[in-house]
Amino acid sequence: MARMILARLGEVVLVMLAVSFLVYLVLEHNAADVAVKVLGQYSTAEQRALWLAENGYNAPFIERYGIWLGHFVTGRWGSSTHYRELVIDLLPPYLRQTAILAGTSFAIIVPLSFVLGIAAGVREGSLADRVISFVSVGTTSIPEFASAVFLSAIFVFWLGILPGASTMTSGFAWAELVLPVMVIVLYDFGYVARMVRASMAEVMTQPFIRTALMKGASPARIVFRHALRNALVAPITVIMLQIPWLLSGVIVVEVFFAYKGFGTLLYQACLNSDVALIEACAMVSVLVIVSTQVISDLLYTLLNPRIRFGAGAQGRG
Amino acid sequence: MGFKLWTNSGRKLHQAVPALADQFVKGEIGRRDFLQTVAWLGVAAASARAFAGAVSPVPAAAQEAPKKGGSLRYASAVMEINDPMLVTWTQASNVFRNSLEYLTMVDEDNITQPLLAASWDPSADLTSWRFKLRPGVKWSNGDAFTTEDVAFNINRWIAPTSKSSNKSAFSAIKQVEVHSDLEFSLHLSRPVLAIPEMFYAYTCPIVHRKFEEQGGVWSKNPIGTGPYTMVEFGVGQKATFRRREGYWGPAPYLDEIRYLDLGTEVSASIQALAAGQVDLITAINTTDIDVVKRLPNATLLSGRAAQTICIRMQVDQKPFDDIRVRKAMVLAADNQKLLDIGYRGLGVVAENHHVAPFQPEYFKLPPVARDVAKAKALLAEAGYKDGLDVTLVLGNTQGRWEQDTAQVLQQQVAEAGIRMKLNVLPSSEFWPIWDKVPFGLTFWAHRPLAVMTLDLAYRGGGSWNESHYKNPEFDTALNKATGIVDPKQRAVAMEAVERILQDDAVMVQPYWGDRYGAASTKVRGFRLHPSTYQSLRQTWLA
Amino acid sequence: MSFLRALRRPGPAVGFAIVVLWLGCAAFAGWLAPHDPLKSQIPLQFPLDRAPDGGHFWLGTDLLGRDILSRMIFGARTVIVWAGLSTVSAYIVGIVSGLLAGFYRGWVDRLLSFVANVVLSFPVLVLYILIIVTLGASGLNIVLAVTFASAPAIFRIVRALAIDIASRDFVSAAITQGESAVRIMLVDILPNATGPLIVDACLRLGYTAITIGALGFLGLGLPPPTPDWGGMVNEGRGMAMVFPHLVVFPCIAISSLMLGLSLLADGLREASRAGSHG
Repeated sequence: MARMILARLGEVVLVMLAVSFLVYLVLEHNAADVAVKVLGQYSTAEQRALWLAENGYNAPFIERYGIWLGHFVTGRWGSSTHYRELVIDLLPPYLRQTAILAGTSFAIIVPLSFVLGIAAGVREGSLADRVISFVSVGTTSIPEFASAVFLSAIFVFWLGILPGASTMTSGFAWAELVLPVMVIVLYDFGYVARMVRASMAEVMTQPFIRTALMKGASPARIVFRHALRNALVAPITVIMLQIPWLLSGVIVVEVFFAYKGFGTLLYQACLNSDVALIEACAMVSVLVIVSTQVISDLLYTLLNPRIRFGAGAQGRG
Repeated sequence: MGFKLWTNSGRKLHQAVPALADQFVKGEIGRRDFLQTVAWLGVAAASARAFAGAVSPVPAAAQEAPKKGGSLRYASAVMEINDPMLVTWTQASNVFRNSLEYLTMVDEDNITQPLLAASWDPSADLTSWRFKLRPGVKWSNGDAFTTEDVAFNINRWIAPTSKSSNKSAFSAIKQVEVHSDLEFSLHLSRPVLAIPEMFYAYTCPIVHRKFEEQGGVWSKNPIGTGPYTMVEFGVGQKATFRRREGYWGPAPYLDEIRYLDLGTEVSASIQALAAGQVDLITAINTTDIDVVKRLPNATLLSGRAAQTICIRMQVDQKPFDDIRVRKAMVLAADNQKLLDIGYRGLGVVAENHHVAPFQPEYFKLPPVARDVAKAKALLAEAGYKDGLDVTLVLGNTQGRWEQDTAQVLQQQVAEAGIRMKLNVLPSSEFWPIWDKVPFGLTFWAHRPLAVMTLDLAYRGGGSWNESHYKNPEFDTALNKATGIVDPKQRAVAMEAVERILQDDAVMVQPYWGDRYGAASTKVRGFRLHPSTYQSLRQTWLA
Repeated sequence: MSFLRALRRPGPAVGFAIVVLWLGCAAFAGWLAPHDPLKSQIPLQFPLDRAPDGGHFWLGTDLLGRDILSRMIFGARTVIVWAGLSTVSAYIVGIVSGLLAGFYRGWVDRLLSFVANVVLSFPVLVLYILIIVTLGASGLNIVLAVTFASAPAIFRIVRALAIDIASRDFVSAAITQGESAVRIMLVDILPNATGPLIVDACLRLGYTAITIGALGFLGLGLPPPTPDWGGMVNEGRGMAMVFPHLVVFPCIAISSLMLGLSLLADGLREASRAGSHG
């Protein structure tokens, strides 16, 4: 077990190194472009040449990369050209906001999709199953920007019960979190619910379940004691793997509601060609994804007795 | 006539004033032109208004009693403020306008009022101006405000190494002569009538004389003479101002002003207004009007402004160095349709010479007619029988309506065989290259006098001459017009200026778009300023 | 066979019909669209209002006076072409690398798997932002970004299938007979992998269409005046309260395409599962 963790961590480090190289290559291989982006429109050729020399851009690419990497791992993430602050000071509040958004969304998605998925999978083909499946497929087909428009129209302009922008100008307000969370939940719960349903349906056809049914055990008992443990394995990994998806989707939701999170920051950085900020944001999002992959693998191992105890062991009821 | 005119300084009226008064009484010039012109010449605005009121009274609006106190939340971009004379966005100036002041102030009616300068008197030939500063003004750090500060500022604007747009705007200033702590004179190389008004351009606030010594970054050391001090500043996030003690003038009503940067999407600001999270948005697009009108807690603000877009061609770059190509582009465009569809008809049609019908010196030229056949013929003559391929670069700096107008133009010129591609850049990518691309769409903000824009944009060597236009004939005509006092005579001189620019087909300048904003119903005493210079001195919350 | 079986159930049949409808719009846009999608006529007309040429604006017009129905039909072409191109490109890269990794194993497999892991650790939009900052926004760059983002997942599917199939007897027989690796990969392995790949392709096409829509919504997509469903929502959302038809129809378009592809994919998956069980 410990060996496996160490091996995975080693892989993570390698992946991050490769990612950092890719990011740096894409954004800074052309030194002249960087100078224009940092110094802005009024800079002259001499000013740029001076800046490039001062900041070590006349060195060969590999050397520059090495120095940048060294700075990066020690927390020197440079300065944002748009916000005029050190990136390392700028990021944390925005990350925290996105974590709150994502956390709240997950806190709703997981129970919701589990309840729906189990209800659907327990009795495959039933009315409940068909309705839930239809709703699930339907909601995952509506892109987030579309549902944001519709929900805004209903709750902000027609009913007037929710605020239209989630800028948190007067400090943190739960009311401003409702719409963004609703949009994310609406888009995501369907996919997870269908995974849970598929897993449940698969498990319900297992011989030992049918035996328990024949022996007269109630369906609820079956679900909770037997089916769930086995059904949980696939969905948990699916949930963990929703996170990378969330990091993409959250950009659209945050920009729509002007929510000052990581997504808005990256979007602004993109519009402003804010090189240092983009580098940091890219690295952070990759780190998050890689971490979730590792955790997901670990959870899968922990939950799947077959892997844990070697091939041949039966699932314990 | 029972009302007399008097000057701010107390000195004699400028010799041109009686003639202007006479023209106004006879109805030869309008009220606005009269008020604006005599204000430049040093006449006290109050006396001019009283005089004009006696001649043609304007009904007074019902007044509520203003309330003191409260915090106003203003949705606005919060931009970097290093050196006020170098800013390129008026939004940045609106932020520091609460702390930094100008020599003069131009109100929403385009009338120049004294601010830090108490009075001014021009010489008969308008080449020498004597300014008297307001006594008793103190900087927020306790220092006294004197002519030393003013001289420091003006000299750094026009210094040879200055990168400010002020350099070419004030190119006529030869010398600043300091007489005493409170009096100075400007000596100009040629007569310029609107000098007092030009001092309210957004890049002309007066900073402390030690500004450069103390680092040259205003946001880090926000000293000013204004009634507010900046207590918080974060680029792209927020800025907060609180009213301070020790201001020389009447205290404004608001205790606190908070600028909140809600991003580039105006719809987010409007949603915030709908939810009561902000009180004021001063720039909304024509597409947002319907929504604002439907909000029960908001009012729509509107105003006419000489703001426009110039779809300009660089006259020294192929294929635009051939005047036939430029003329073809201009002839293929339909300015009225561009206004109707690109800006929903909310404005006034323009005539491609950057002088608006409602600007004082406008001379009416015959309207520009669309002629697709002639455009095609000109293109063929220039060697483009099978049409022409061009790319228009734009940045949507003020909103998507720039791109909307460009799309309509794209369709129009296609009929003449011009295949126009659109390259829409994010605005931050557009700014570094706005004046470098051969074919670009640029937004130009309102200036009270057309000659101020013409000076910057079309004079040979002007700071913001994006079309590289260089015509000595034009420069001479412009010089002539800038020195004339009488609005009617000035308009006549402007005919030459307008005609030359129009004939040279430098750009398609399709319309003058009205300005729109939105405010919570609690906000009082706020009007949209045509130049987007928003001052909150008279604003209060009900 | 499983395809036709899939269509017997109502869900997949409906999905198939929707997909065929949009494919038809994309292919025959010129004939189907009542107006020129780029021509500015009368701005902000409501659905069913009359058009100057005597016809109707069936779905109204947008802010610039362009017929929304025509823009939706041409928009189908834009979406399907670019989403299709991106998906095909991702598949080519994914299949080639997956086959190589699954067949040869060893260092080839380790290297390619590592590269796939690296790319998979980027969120799609972040990847696209990296590309747009350096190369600018254009259709080709969207294809590039989506290829990068999707290829690794396809690589993994193909690789797993290739490993599984390559271990079977008939393949070992082919190897001993001296057949070339390329032939084995293309003739023996690939055809057996088509089942899961087709299901994945349907879904991936849908997700790519949504991503392209999201990019258009963020203003980072195809340049104007290309009719683009996401771009239409972006342009119209400021006025959606008063003119809901500006955003409702493009949203319905993109949702229905995704729905159709999802239903079809579901049906195909069910059918192949039933096929292998039965």
